[in-house]
Amino acid sequence: MKVKTEKKAPFIDMTAMSDVTVLLLTFFMLTSTFLQKEPTTVITPASVSEEKVPEQNLVTLLVTKDSQIFLSIAGDRDSSYSSEKMREEVLLNVVEEYNKKHPNKKIQLTNADVAVFGNTHMFGLPLAQLSEWCKLPTEKRDDLLDPAKNPKAGIPIDMGKDVENRNEFQQWMLALYNTSNPNLAKAVKSGKGIAIKADATTPYSVVQVVMDNLQTLKMNKFTLMTALKTEED
Amino acid sequence: MAKKKEYTKKKDVRVDFTPMVDMNMLLITFFMLCTTMIKSQTLQISLPSNEKVDKTEQNKVKQSEAVTIIVDSDIDDNGVPTKDYVYYYEGMPNIEDANKDGKIDNNIMKEIEFKGNENGKAQGIRAVLQERNKQVVEKITVLKEDWKAKKFSSNKAVNDSVYQARAKEIRNDSTLTRPVIIIKATPNASYKSLVTALDEMQINNISRYQIDRINGTDSAMMADFLIARQK
Repeated sequence: MKVKTEKKAPFIDMTAMSDVTVLLLTFFMLTSTFLQKEPTTVITPASVSEEKVPEQNLVTLLVTKDSQIFLSIAGDRDSSYSSEKMREEVLLNVVEEYNKKHPNKKIQLTNADVAVFGNTHMFGLPLAQLSEWCKLPTEKRDDLLDPAKNPKAGIPIDMGKDVENRNEFQQWMLALYNTSNPNLAKAVKSGKGIAIKADATTPYSVVQVVMDNLQTLKMNKFTLMTALKTEED
Repeated sequence: MAKKKEYTKKKDVRVDFTPMVDMNMLLITFFMLCTTMIKSQTLQISLPSNEKVDKTEQNKVKQSEAVTIIVDSDIDDNGVPTKDYVYYYEGMPNIEDANKDGKIDNNIMKEIEFKGNENGKAQGIRAVLQERNKQVVEKITVLKEDWKAKKFSSNKAVNDSVYQARAKEIRNDSTLTRPVIIIKATPNASYKSLVTALDEMQINNISRYQIDRINGTDSAMMADFLIARQK
């Protein structure tokens, strides 16, 4: 005789599971800082240094293998000197200097252009292409900054010994002193505010060019971004 | 009244949380993939100002204190460094060739490796640097024991800061014999090899080091050394 067993869908109580996931979610939301979009992926070399990268008032110089330089500016997090504002101020400073030097080829920027720049985490293009770049749609802008798609990306740099006629990289760096945020200038001066970020496999000669330029600007102190490595005693 | 209540006996309300969990899992995955948990570290560098370089400050370094480290790398066809090499010499460079046979008579350059510790003992370049900076390293080791035992203060932050301050004092104590390390990189050297060299300075508590350009003497010594090694 067959016993008719009534099949019942087993009911699993998901409440506890839900509690756990919500907790995890809260943890991730609170601890996270979002990965910022960078033009190229860089794996920094490892070092035993335990000093953390400052979160505010920091200028990051991303150096690619082909010696293209990208600049990223972070302002104060919780004051009126936000990153966006700092970027806009630096941009206006640089453009002003540029227009003084090139009276025939002045860069004209609208407020919208400046705002676009303010929202860009990392920038690296010759100044001459700037206003054109600001008017492109978002994807096109990213493409133009990507060294894989645009070999001419990056802030122009040379050996940098010519103090009279500074290259664009030096102009950008000098503009950092002239913002309304005294903390940024202070951080740059003390060296804690400049971080060079380069891939471990970059030839040193490429990084050296950047260091030489900083040295010419009397920014003798700076930091190198590294990943943590532990050494046993 | 009492009878009526029995009729409206509430049914067990069960809410199915499965979709909620699904959604939460998705959100967690999103946050996990989009965040950086590990913050980058920084290595502080201070280069001499240009004026100092012009005065050839490095020549004033006492011969007995100087150790020059030269980092070099093999590069592949795309110019990407593949293998790192380290060479070093102690004291002043010497490229004298008295018998004019095209070889340096007494090439003091040696090849060594970045090795780190093995079986609790320093190897490679670290062993050389540790030996040169012995007095400082010994004092720091004693200090470190005290720090681990929290002898300075039971408060962790105070303990750390006292340790850091004392360690800095020892590192800069001019009464101890301390070496001066000059780090040089060939044009092919990888950025990683330079950072590793700078790292060794930190590990070995060396306070006096500088990054310098490779000059003709160094190149000549290296070329001579490499030719001799091939034979």
